[in-house]
Formats: sequence, C-alpha cells, structure tokens
Amino acid sequence: MSKRLEEALDELHEIEGVEACILYRIDGVPITLRAKGYREHILETMFWLEKQIKQVLREINTEGLTETIFYFRNNRILINPSSRSTVLVTITGAEANQQLISLEALRASKIIEDCVT
Amino acid sequence: MIKMGRVSTGVYGLDDLTGGGLRENTITMVRGGTGVGKTTFALQYSLFGLNRGEKVVYISFEMSEEQIIRDCGDIGWGEIEYHIQRGDLKIIHLFGEDLTFPSLDIVEMVRKAVPSHNLRIVVDPLTYPTFYSEKEKRKSLSTIFKELRKMGTAVVTLEDLADSNHVHEGSNMPLYLADTVIYLQNLGFGEMYDRTLRVMKHRGSKHGDSLYPYSIETGLGIVLRTSPRQLERVKPKTKFDEQFKKAIEKTRTMGEVGKKLSVRIEALQRNWTHDEDPSQVLKLVLEEEMKGYVKKT
Repeated sequence: MSKRLEEALDELHEIEGVEACILYRIDGVPITLRAKGYREHILETMFWLEKQIKQVLREINTEGLTETIFYFRNNRILINPSSRSTVLVTITGAEANQQLISLEALRASKIIEDCVT
Repeated sequence: MIKMGRVSTGVYGLDDLTGGGLRENTITMVRGGTGVGKTTFALQYSLFGLNRGEKVVYISFEMSEEQIIRDCGDIGWGEIEYHIQRGDLKIIHLFGEDLTFPSLDIVEMVRKAVPSHNLRIVVDPLTYPTFYSEKEKRKSLSTIFKELRKMGTAVVTLEDLADSNHVHEGSNMPLYLADTVIYLQNLGFGEMYDRTLRVMKHRGSKHGDSLYPYSIETGLGIVLRTSPRQLERVKPKTKFDEQFKKAIEKTRTMGEVGKKLSVRIEALQRNWTHDEDPSQVLKLVLEEEMKGYVKKT
C-alpha cells in the first residue's frame, strides 16, 4: 500500500521543475518528503507550511477546493487535499510547466487517497 | 560496568528503527492519548521477555490483575496466566493516591516483587501517582528512574490529556528524564497515517525519525507498517567505507587527538545512514580538529 504511495510521490518529484513534494498530515507533521538536495528556501517554506497546513486544509475542505496555490519568492506552492487527514504539497520553480504539474499533483493526490483510506 | 546490550521491544518492526531494540538498563517512556495502544505496547514488551524466560514486574495504576488477564486472553495472549503462576510475572495493582513517597514506594515494590537485576519493568501509566509539587515530582521521578535502571529495562507509559481535536501534545511529565521517548498518536480519521509512532528520543543510539504508521492486530498487538524506503533510511550505508577509511588514515598524523578522533569517525561510519557522501562532513571535522591540534603542539 505505502509502496504505491511512495511511487506516486517519486513520479511527481521526477517531473522537471518540481523542487519538492511533501505529504503532510493534517496536524502539520510531514509524513514523507521528496526534495532535490538541500535548499534553504525549501526549508523556510516547510516551516511556514507546518504552521499553516491545518488552517489551509480546513479552508480547502470548507470551500470544497481541489487545490490552493501560494507564491513564495520564485516558488509556486501547490496544495492538494489528498484525504481527510493528509495533504499533498508540491513546490515548483518559476520555469516549471504549471499546467502539467497541477494535473500530476491531482493524480498523485488521488493515488494517495486510495492508499491511505 | 557500562552495559551495551539491547532489549527487544516485542513490538513488530520497532527494533529495526531503534538500532536493535531498547538499550539495556534504560527508561523508555511511551506517551499518547487514550486508546493509542500504550497498554498493548507494555504487555507486548512484557510477553516478549516472558516467552523467552525473562522476569517481569508490571506495576499497574489502572487495571487489576484480573482485568489484565482477561484483556490478554481476548487479544490472544492467554499464556500470561501461565507466567503469573510460574512467578515470572508479578503484577502490582495500586492507586497513585495511596503512595506516600512515590520514589521510595515504587522502587521498593519492584525490589520485593522479583529480586533480580535483569528485569523487564513496566509502569502503566505513570500519570496518576500524586506528587507534592512540580519540583518534588521531577526529583521523585529522577530517583525512581535511577533505581529502576539498576534493576532492569523499564517501559513507562504516560497518558496525554485529550482535547477536542485529539491532537493535544501536552504532557506535564518531564520527558527529558527518560532515555527513550516513543510517541503514539491516533487522530481518529480512520486513515493510514492517523495511528502513528514516532521515536522522539533514543539516547545514545541512532533511530528512525519518520512518522511510522501502525495498526493493533488481535493476536499480535502493535505492528508497524514501515515502508521499505523508511527502513532503508535507518540502515547504515557501507558504500562510503572508502571515504571513512581515508579520513581515519589522516587522523594517524594527529597524535593522541587523532587516536580519539579515529574512534569517533569509526562510530560515525557504523551509523552513517545518509545516502549522501560523507566527504564534506569528514573534511570539515578533520580541518577543525587539526586546528586545535596544531595550536596545542
């Protein structure tokens, strides 16, 4: 079960322009992370996410959204709810193919939902 | 004499994440809210030892001996009665309020129950003993733990107060007094990552630092569902042995400082679980240590 989840994250992470993808639990605890090496700005984003994730997920669920996007410096942060207790965060660079990544993140979040529920 | 051995937890999958189990003669705190499996953990730990000829003292502040036997029977651990009859398991049921001096009373009870030095000791849960003040509590706990360490390897469970979101992390017990802290959680959504185990601290040993999902299975108890990748992350990597060897060779030119440093680098090598090349770290360490060495000489 979790192997399929890991593979979904690997595939998303391998897309050009994806700097990191992180699966968070609703309480802000990171479950698993894929990042292309150590980058300070990713760490800063993660600190911010840890504090915000519960609030953001509540808003997403209340409004029935399938994704939420934040912009941080040169990064686009895509937040997809993947189940009632998990949320998928994809951090991309400015030159990334945003449409493709949006679709792939949505696909990955569906796989995650299948795996965790 | 410093003990180096490991004590298996009996919790399926946990020993792999803690470098082979709990360190001998240490205190492990298992904390979590209601229904996360703290007592199951404690019983699993006890039975694993009992089934291998070890002796266990189980101090229960919550359940009587009859309740424990009944619950164990329901989960498929009926052998507990046999261990009680043989005298290998001693269950002490008491109320926290009845303890006059918790630090003396608890230690004395364990000592009298089974006079041995390699016991498995369980206190389940430690939340209820009455302590006079915060200052007294810390001192009392410190004394209890110090004495328990002499008698064996202890697992102490702690009840976290639940709030409306079931994610309250507050515990007013000083966790820093324990050698190992394991945090069990259940968010209550019924999903895979709701029931999770985290090793928050494992003094003197490498441990996995991820969030590990688990389930409680009848007949088995707690079973961790660690993914192969998570397991891979806690295994020492041997592919960088050459880099460590070169660094150790360099320490040979550094006299006494170098001898001590080479022991440290060997320890690092045994515990290098990262997938990244250690060369940068080793270079930094050698440069810094060389500075101090040159200055002295």
